[in-house]
Amino acid sequence: MTRRPANARDFELIAVAVARLRAGIMALVFALIGGIGLLVATVWLLVRGGPNVGMHLGLLGNYFPGYDVTWSGAVLGFVYGALTGGLLGFSLAWVYNRLAQRRVDRGARS
Amino acid sequence: MSVTAVIGAGPAGLAAAWELSRRGLPAVVYEQDDIVGGISRTVNYRGYRFDIGGHRFFTKVSLVREMWEEILGPDLLERDRLSRIYYRGKFFHYPLRPASALVGLGPIEAARVLASYARAQLAPLSEERTFEQWVVNRFGRRLYEIFFETYTEKVWGMPCSEIAAEWATQRIKNLDLKTAIKSALVRSPRIDGEVVTTLIDRFHYPRHGPGMMWERCRDLLAERGIPTHLQSRVSRIRHDGRRVVAIEVRAAARAAGDGGDDRDPGREIEVDHVVASMPLSTLVRVLDPPPPPEVLAAASRLRYRDFMTVGLIVDREHLFPDNWIYVHSPAVRLGRIQNFKNWSPEMVPDPRRSSLGLEYFVQRGDDLWSAEDGALVELGARECETLGLLRRDEVVDGTVIRMPRAYPVYDDAYREALPVLRAHLGGFSNLHVVGRNAQHRYNNQDHSMLAGVLAARNVAGESHDVWAVNVEQDYHEEVRAPAAGRASGGASGGDRLVPAAAAPATVEELLREAFARYDPIALGGALGTVAGLGLFAATALMLVRGGDPVGPNLSLLGNYLYGFRASWSGALVGLVEAGLGGFGFGYLLGRSINGLVGWHEIGIRKRLELATTLDPLGAGDR
Repeated sequence: MTRRPANARDFELIAVAVARLRAGIMALVFALIGGIGLLVATVWLLVRGGPNVGMHLGLLGNYFPGYDVTWSGAVLGFVYGALTGGLLGFSLAWVYNRLAQRRVDRGARS
Repeated sequence: MSVTAVIGAGPAGLAAAWELSRRGLPAVVYEQDDIVGGISRTVNYRGYRFDIGGHRFFTKVSLVREMWEEILGPDLLERDRLSRIYYRGKFFHYPLRPASALVGLGPIEAARVLASYARAQLAPLSEERTFEQWVVNRFGRRLYEIFFETYTEKVWGMPCSEIAAEWATQRIKNLDLKTAIKSALVRSPRIDGEVVTTLIDRFHYPRHGPGMMWERCRDLLAERGIPTHLQSRVSRIRHDGRRVVAIEVRAAARAAGDGGDDRDPGREIEVDHVVASMPLSTLVRVLDPPPPPEVLAAASRLRYRDFMTVGLIVDREHLFPDNWIYVHSPAVRLGRIQNFKNWSPEMVPDPRRSSLGLEYFVQRGDDLWSAEDGALVELGARECETLGLLRRDEVVDGTVIRMPRAYPVYDDAYREALPVLRAHLGGFSNLHVVGRNAQHRYNNQDHSMLAGVLAARNVAGESHDVWAVNVEQDYHEEVRAPAAGRASGGASGGDRLVPAAAAPATVEELLREAFARYDPIALGGALGTVAGLGLFAATALMLVRGGDPVGPNLSLLGNYLYGFRASWSGALVGLVEAGLGGFGFGYLLGRSINGLVGWHEIGIRKRLELATTLDPLGAGDR
């Protein structure tokens, strides 16, 4: 990328510049957090063991068909967590960018 | 074959002649003085070489760098830089380092500085119309008095209370935004593996001063068939209203200044192009027939600041390690001191001695300008002794170099006059104005050279806007040729770097990468929407699946969301309450991030301002 010197006008622009979220990156980050998070949470309970392993975490099976607190469930949970996280991240960025753009446009008109 | 007359053998004129020679186009250079180099000359006085100011050879324009290297070869040295501010017998690093400055000032003065700084932050002046107000609001009155007031008034010859604040803000222009951020975060920032040189600590410099570059350029041009006629004043430029057809050249009687020898009837020379680097006001006056009265009136409104170097030869091997020193002491009239031996050891013929250039910013006709040379050498020696830099009896010889019209003044008159003059001169298709005084623009040497090269390319049939050089707001200094061709009106020669208009998208990208704020409302809205709809969908899914009871675990959220349970009405309650909660969380998150970013930006801005407002003429002007 080429470079140019900064000037006072740049700082004026900075003052009104609004950051945007990159939906693809948000989706990827949330997917990684969601997938790995659910995988680790499931594995953690399995390693700890006990009489009713993952009684409450297993309730996620209400939303994620086939998921339970087992080793195979951990792998399936990674997929579900990633899909759900990705969807949330993308939705968050998509909604934010549209709201921000609308507010910038409104500001420009006024 | 067409002949181009180049008026002025400074960096702009000789760079134009050089480019014409590269293209095999005939040209003749006319210089009024008896020395080449313009303000970038080096004056030889009994073997001691004195520059007019300091001239670091530092540029971002690669064609200029290549020209320096081609002409100077191994005589282009790489030198360390050290420049400091002298105040009350102490030296302070330039650019200023706040912590070391406070230590250097001592506890009492440091307390005064901090107190006045705190006062300026808590109760800033409501008006920021003048340079003084602008600086006081940012640094406090005490710091302003120490590091800004005296030197700025010496340079510009007017009170800081009469200098527009706009001038101060314009000083924040020579640092690249990304570089500034990097330099604020790390001590030795690197870009593409190279240490960033914006706050340059090394520079190139010819073995015998900048004059060496232009003397050698003149000699090489002569070998290529382009002569340089010294002491030749262009007294008339004859035109037919659309084109220049001839120039009249007379012998110049004096080595410096505006005048010539009117007893010489002059000789007329027919020309096809004229590349003029003479002062704009003079250029307009020598047009024949003369321009309309309003153009002449505009020319008479341009003002210049003049400059004088008192050269001292000192019988001491080492005086101080700096290349140059800013003198902020009000006890003396000199503004800057160049230690030429530290620029290049070969600037002095006797290694046991040193040479100093004492710089006085003057106005032609004032007491200093009119003083006898001997008195000025005596004054310089006395002032150096006052500053504690040497003893009077160590000064064994001295000389005085006067440089009229060294700095174009940017005042209100200039703003109104320049467009009038540009419009008039733009009407001549074969008249090309280049350089600091012809464009009345505070160009560095590399800017003037680039303008000269572009003018020569225009002579060769290309189309470049020389006025676009050194317009930082709109131009990059380094862009590869294809993009440059687009920006500068077409052909660029194809193999060199030339300026090109900055793409607006680049600015946007820079801003986003730097300090763009999150919109807290939008972030809150997004989080609220996702949280509300998410809970609504989760509840609805439970209800659709059915069971008895429906979603007992999900209903536990009722502990936090008032009235929520796994029912259709509860889903609506969850939608609203989770939406509100998400909005509040997102809003606070956005505000918090913006606050931290803003705090960091203020710190960087203050460092930028501090680093750039101290040097009203550009440190070691290139």
